[in-house]
Amino acid sequence: MEKQKFTDRFSTVFADQNFFKKQKRIALKNCGLIDPENIDDYIFANGYTALATVLSEMTPEDVIKSVKDSGLRGRGGAGFPTGIKWESTAKQVNDEKFVVCNADEGDPGAFMDRSVIEGDPHAIVEGMAIGAYAIGAKKGVVYLRAEYPLAIKRLQKAIEDARKANFLGKNILGSSFSFDMEIRLGAGAFVCGEETALMNSIEGKRGMPRTRPPFPSVSGLFDKPTLLNNVETWANISSIIVNGAEWFSSIGVGKSKGTKVFALAGKITNTGLAEIPMGMTLREIIYDVGGGIPNGKKFKAVQTGGPSGGCLTESMLDTTIDYESLTKAGSIMGSGGMIVIDEDACMVNIAKFFLEFTQSESCGKCVPCREGIKRMLEILTRITDGEGQTGDIEKLEELGNMIKKASLCGLGQSAPNPVLSTIKNFREEYEDHVNNKRCKCVVCEKLITYTINDKCIGCSACRRSCPVGAIAGLPKEKHTIHEDLCIKCGKCFRSCKFHAIDKTSIAKEQK
Amino acid sequence: MGTPLCILEEKRKQAKSRLEEIGYFSDTKIYIGMATCEIAAGSVPVMEIFKNELKNQKNIYISQKGCAGRCNLEPTVEIYQKDKEPVKYIQVTPEKAKTIIEKHIKNGEIITEWMGK
Amino acid sequence: MSTIKVFINDKEYTVESDITIMQACDTIGIKIPRLCYHPKLAISSGCRICIVEVEGMRNFVASCSYPVNEGMKIHTNTDEIRKARKDILELILDNHPKDCNACVRDEVCELQQLASTIGLRERKFEGVKREKYVDDSSPSIVNNHEKCILCGRCVKVCAQIQNISAIDYANRGFNTVIVPAFNDKIANSICTLCGQCVNVCPTAALTEKNYTQDVFKILNDKTKIKVAQVAPSVRVAIGEAFGIPAGSNMEREIAHALKLLGFDYVFDSQFSADLTIMEEANEFLERLNGKGKLPMITSCSSGWMKAMEQFHPDLIDNVSTCKSPMSMMSSIVKSYFADKIGKKSTDIINVAIMCCVAKKYEAQRPELAMEDGAHATDYVITTRELAWMIKSAGIDFKNLKGQDFDAPLGLSTGAATIFGVTGGVMEAAIRTAYELATNKPLENIDITSVRGNEGIKEGSIEINGQEIRVAVASGLGNAHKLLEAAKKDPNKYHFIEIMACPGGCIGGGGQPYAGIRDLPFDPKLVNERAKALYKADELNKIRRSHENPAIIKLYEDFLGKPLGEKSHKYLHTHYKQKFPKGIIRKSKEK
Repeated sequence: MEKQKFTDRFSTVFADQNFFKKQKRIALKNCGLIDPENIDDYIFANGYTALATVLSEMTPEDVIKSVKDSGLRGRGGAGFPTGIKWESTAKQVNDEKFVVCNADEGDPGAFMDRSVIEGDPHAIVEGMAIGAYAIGAKKGVVYLRAEYPLAIKRLQKAIEDARKANFLGKNILGSSFSFDMEIRLGAGAFVCGEETALMNSIEGKRGMPRTRPPFPSVSGLFDKPTLLNNVETWANISSIIVNGAEWFSSIGVGKSKGTKVFALAGKITNTGLAEIPMGMTLREIIYDVGGGIPNGKKFKAVQTGGPSGGCLTESMLDTTIDYESLTKAGSIMGSGGMIVIDEDACMVNIAKFFLEFTQSESCGKCVPCREGIKRMLEILTRITDGEGQTGDIEKLEELGNMIKKASLCGLGQSAPNPVLSTIKNFREEYEDHVNNKRCKCVVCEKLITYTINDKCIGCSACRRSCPVGAIAGLPKEKHTIHEDLCIKCGKCFRSCKFHAIDKTSIAKEQK
Repeated sequence: MGTPLCILEEKRKQAKSRLEEIGYFSDTKIYIGMATCEIAAGSVPVMEIFKNELKNQKNIYISQKGCAGRCNLEPTVEIYQKDKEPVKYIQVTPEKAKTIIEKHIKNGEIITEWMGK
Repeated sequence: MSTIKVFINDKEYTVESDITIMQACDTIGIKIPRLCYHPKLAISSGCRICIVEVEGMRNFVASCSYPVNEGMKIHTNTDEIRKARKDILELILDNHPKDCNACVRDEVCELQQLASTIGLRERKFEGVKREKYVDDSSPSIVNNHEKCILCGRCVKVCAQIQNISAIDYANRGFNTVIVPAFNDKIANSICTLCGQCVNVCPTAALTEKNYTQDVFKILNDKTKIKVAQVAPSVRVAIGEAFGIPAGSNMEREIAHALKLLGFDYVFDSQFSADLTIMEEANEFLERLNGKGKLPMITSCSSGWMKAMEQFHPDLIDNVSTCKSPMSMMSSIVKSYFADKIGKKSTDIINVAIMCCVAKKYEAQRPELAMEDGAHATDYVITTRELAWMIKSAGIDFKNLKGQDFDAPLGLSTGAATIFGVTGGVMEAAIRTAYELATNKPLENIDITSVRGNEGIKEGSIEINGQEIRVAVASGLGNAHKLLEAAKKDPNKYHFIEIMACPGGCIGGGGQPYAGIRDLPFDPKLVNERAKALYKADELNKIRRSHENPAIIKLYEDFLGKPLGEKSHKYLHTHYKQKFPKGIIRKSKEK
């Protein structure tokens, strides 16, 4: 098969699919196309050309300039300009420097890093070797979460194969540049995706963030200057070298160049991974790439940036996907999580879900995050339990804003985002929970009322299913649910074959 | 010794010849998704069926591939045949795999209802 | 030293260029509230109390770690900052018991002081609290999770100063606790019980195990003879607990107060320090003459003894077999002195007042027990505990007339006084060893090379034409460094003094808490205490242990000669390798 045809596989095989039509694959260029365990496949697909080009024709300064000019920014979340990070690490004078790949993908529902490492592991090896050449490092570490056994296996094989083929090791490809790398496994702490906690973890210490400054570029892994980038960032490097900075910076919009991989999840037809050029609108990615909301439901919100991000509403759907616009809209780019929420979802409950996650993943080092998020979760829990008090929403805002500004690391600084953004955009839902003890979307368990309507034929299925004996009624007569006894488990609702049980949430004063 | 680029060119030639040896340039190429997500969706038995059923067939190259991002359609199987439009089958089960081998690979009959849209 | 201009609360200041915002504010007289920060420990910026606003920064900045830069505009006291600090402090207090009145640290609690500084007046966010858990497994240190605010100072002092790392954070988020390895109890851990964590703890999360109630009870027991002994460093520190300036020598007030508390006899651990020197100097000279291993290492510090048995078992034969002065005193009281007053050893209760929490553990070591198996030292209370007992009994400590220690075990030399400071044991031992070996008076008895507050000190002295090289380390981190060097070159030193606590016993884990707005674990405080001990040595007419007439008499009446049969029975001990959790037993070791 022709090489040309090979790399065009997406457009040929999936030409009829909007899912791929609007995508632009750079970081994922080989994912799903090559055999990830065969280095020859990668080499044949133009692999390692960037590394060889760098070693043949470019000085470290040239490489840094190229990355800088490309406008690439960190794909792990914060969007710091990658070239500037490289430059400041390169500037440090030290006998030892490190390059590190952050593959501790922890956002719930995010799997772009796994996909890259499983589908195209050599892209990481190549990217890191180029980075090491640029900053003067001899050693690289990939911090990869242990929950990704296949990714570990494939990356390990890639490193070994690359070493055998002299893409790693001493005097790479006959040059004077030597570089090798290894994998360190993370044990599943979300906070270890934070760069300084990650380095502590590699060093064998407890994964707790360090205070900055000093920044990793000055004093990072083992207190040496360290260049740390996320998997997706590293995966972009070889394309920038091969196609040029100008090509890369021609993609995207404003200060956000290139593409971003998103993990589409939630209430969206085409769940999966999509790499889209910056500047596409949320509407395009959700409706064109993602195929819209399934089952004829209405769109309600989209959560970008995982547990650290915010919820954006329908009115913001024409926001373009770039770092600045998303931040301005009240969310973040994050590492690329995108969870679509339809009309059935209770936003208070969604916020609670994310806060439960960050609360249990807080490292416990700084007070605002450790204690503050717990208190926010307590308040949210009582709101969803129908025990919210006047002033609770304001307390959430006060705590949330303080935690954002006072926390030590990115986890705490962004943890309140889901709550603050849902309060901002869906305040009436919070107020409904607090004031009326009602969950309009009929999600919050304790605010639900089960009643039996006239469709009841008296089959007794519900009565038999009720674990607390809250349902009474003679056979063939309409049954009733004793509300005081009902524990809202929903068993009766599921057992009824006649749609005779209504699940509602009724405002307090209407009861 | 030349520049790294020359060395790479040499290596690429070697890679090509090694690929040739394993049948990479066969007339029929079958790619089966084997990322964690695909495996979770059931691609391992599918892969086994393709490998076992086509064990003795010449001019067929079977390879694994990473995840292309279509979670809801996995496991996916792509079939490339010389001078023909490539075909992608979605949500392939072992049973479907057997049928695909019988109809598509052996008889050139594309099963359109199992293709991705 | 280059300087830069910064604006603090809208006023321009010139400050050093390589300091933090907190340091810059300190220099202009603004002390930003702080909690986890400690100048001797690595900065973690975990408590977030010291946050300030810096113009142009999106978030608040932890002033303890953020460096100043040219033109920086810092605000330390805006409404927003005050509110955030108040919220942060509330979050700490919301997860802390509301039982200040019933707390051992009432009045001397850093958290309480901080709350008063910040001015918290309402509680808005109260919810569930951390689970109650008290680890009182060890005889020395109690870890009360309920009161822990996770500032991490204890973790840092243990790792960075003592190089032990017996405790660390475990679990995540709200469930975070500070515990020994494997979530086990302190008693099963590698903790050396030095008590430095107690010194730096801002609350009552880490405290000594309190025996004051037991001691009060025993003082009311008419059937027992109650004997107290007081360590050298207690007398120069206890005043701090009563608002008396650091470095005041309160030995006469202590003796008086102990009598008022009801002790029948008040002896001085300095007497047994002289006794230790008699034994140890002779032991050293024996080793120097080929009987036993060199370098000889001192054995007075209980924390060091536990550390040695755990981490340096290869040095067991190098460590002096002498018991510590406390244990020597207790043995002599229950043997020689009991005979003298016609009592049985079981009639006597020995209470030792120590600057140390590890001594509580030492008192319970079975190898230090009397013949009948009873502990030689019945109770050990710290300087802190004694201060509280004095207050609790209503004794007007400041205005006591004071009195002497009781004879015959109350008389001591200047050499014994300096046992309380790092290098003191070495200096005292040299004074005696030199004169015993040469039969000549030592010209200059101030051995200044082993004085001072450096962590590791070296010196040498010529004895009979031989150069004797000595080294001194205080703080287990320094001890570790020194011993590694000594192991590499076994001929490097002849005699090594090790004290587990930084600065020696005066910096012990049982010393008074820092006063209001003072820094815990403050080297300045330790220096004042050291000065007071050297001063007392200088003022003493007798400055060599072997010239102590009471010691001479004790040998004549009871012991015979140093290293003799009775000495071995009452004054010497032995050591055994220890295997707390985390130290792996090799197959050939039993």
